[in-house]
Amino acid sequence: MKQYDNRAWLLVLPALVIVTFVGILPLIAVTNYSFLDLFSLNNPYWLGVEWYRNIVASERFYSSLGRSFLFSAIVLSIQLPLGIWIALLLQRSHRFIVSTVLVLITIPLVVPWNMIPMIWLNFINPNVGLAGRMLEWSGVGFDYKFNALHTWIVLVVMDTWHWLGLVVVLSYAGISSIPPAYYQAAAIDGASRWHIFRFIQLPKMKTVLSMALLLRFMDSFMIYIEAFRINAGGPDGATAFLSLDLGEEIQAFNYGPAAARSIVHFLIVMTVAWAFKAATGTRKPVAMEPVR
Amino acid sequence: MKSLSLTGRIIVFVVLGAFILVPLAQTILISFVSTLPRDGIPEGHFSLVNYKNILLSPVLKEAILNSIIYVLLNVALCLGVGLPAAYAFARYSFVADRQLFFLLLVFRITPTVVLSLPIFVLFAQIGLVNTPVGIALVHCVFNIPISIWILEGFISAVPRELDETAFLDGHTLVSFFFRHLIPAVAPGIGVTAFFCFIFSWVEVVLARILTTTGGKPITMAINALFGFRTDVGLVMAMTVLALVPGIAMIYFVRNHLAKGFVVRT
Repeated sequence: MKQYDNRAWLLVLPALVIVTFVGILPLIAVTNYSFLDLFSLNNPYWLGVEWYRNIVASERFYSSLGRSFLFSAIVLSIQLPLGIWIALLLQRSHRFIVSTVLVLITIPLVVPWNMIPMIWLNFINPNVGLAGRMLEWSGVGFDYKFNALHTWIVLVVMDTWHWLGLVVVLSYAGISSIPPAYYQAAAIDGASRWHIFRFIQLPKMKTVLSMALLLRFMDSFMIYIEAFRINAGGPDGATAFLSLDLGEEIQAFNYGPAAARSIVHFLIVMTVAWAFKAATGTRKPVAMEPVR
Repeated sequence: MKSLSLTGRIIVFVVLGAFILVPLAQTILISFVSTLPRDGIPEGHFSLVNYKNILLSPVLKEAILNSIIYVLLNVALCLGVGLPAAYAFARYSFVADRQLFFLLLVFRITPTVVLSLPIFVLFAQIGLVNTPVGIALVHCVFNIPISIWILEGFISAVPRELDETAFLDGHTLVSFFFRHLIPAVAPGIGVTAFFCFIFSWVEVVLARILTTTGGKPITMAINALFGFRTDVGLVMAMTVLALVPGIAMIYFVRNHLAKGFVVRT
């Protein structure tokens, strides 16, 4: 049982002050902008929901929204199972292998985001790139610039290259926090590997996996620089994600429309996060835990 | 589910390693190649000219310094305010504690681009644009939540007796933090610093909007290298240098990552 003491607020306060300054205040400001016409910042003109109406009325918004959700769905359904599987393989490996694989797989995480498309464009370049020349030589007819499917494949593979490490590190952290007693008990009960995974490992990984899932959803849903640099939303808008329009408005410093779009994106991300929490929030019994 | 044999696992790991390393290998190779026609060096041949050019360029050297300054500041800030907050969440219950924890996590998953315009306006008013300090501060919005989240798990794993005996011995909260708590959760601090580092080092949206004219970090300095005749070799050499601190960081915390860490809500 934790001690009840409101003086603990004093310990939280510095963190809260900074988050208020760089998070809460800007969020309030951006909400405010979204209802205004700000030709210049000193000349606000109240518009009400005009910007929102423009967004909701445009067909482009819905097709972009659909593409963004599709991208997130593909990316999550590849990276989460793959990451969990690798973490499970690591769990039964020698310590040296574990640290080597973890070092390797986290390297893409420290590559600045604007350099990732550069690295990949070079890699798949048909004249100089290793993968590009291989594909050229094998005669696949790979063309990421004009073939929508190929652009999608490049984006998904690139995103997996970039982010798989995060899922693996978090999953592995969850798995290795399970005390050996759980496995011994499972062995006595004659549990199959699937049962161990389903009733011991998965519940114990729940917290870290939810974090991995939310982070991956948010970043893939808002993918901008990586996708833009590869093919600028092309071919023919096939990879024009939701963040593309927002990026343009922000580059142009169109405060009102950019703010309204920002709020829409914020609400979508929060709704998905909330729905996810509601769907997984009901506690199912976990092996070896007393029923509460 | 069938268990994979040792050979099977090794094959999976080798394939994985190749998938990660091969795209990078090309970048590293190009960084050692002269990609523009220059006197004395044939184009497309091995040379160290790109790295030499970075050393000769004050702009690029300053960018490296800026990046290091802001990332160190950010990690220090996040640990400095994150550790007491994580301790409070791990040891005490207080009014609205769960709501506050949830609010912090909300800011971790708020897309940074949402906050970029008002942050630019706000920071411009108080003179925090075009300086590494501004970037360090603004990256706290996603790094403070992550540091509290990770540290809370580590502190919860420390038995409460550590606190109680220390306070009985007459330690104040501050001296308890430095003498007992920090040594006890040192691996946690390493892991937290690692996560703060990677999320801050690679971020480009806020870093770009806050450094329009000066104080550019490595990422923005690389963007500025693109032009009419881009020196691809130079760009790749900068990218390789941008990887060095991150890889060093990974190397330092590899055993703590490999040991795993407990996180809970």
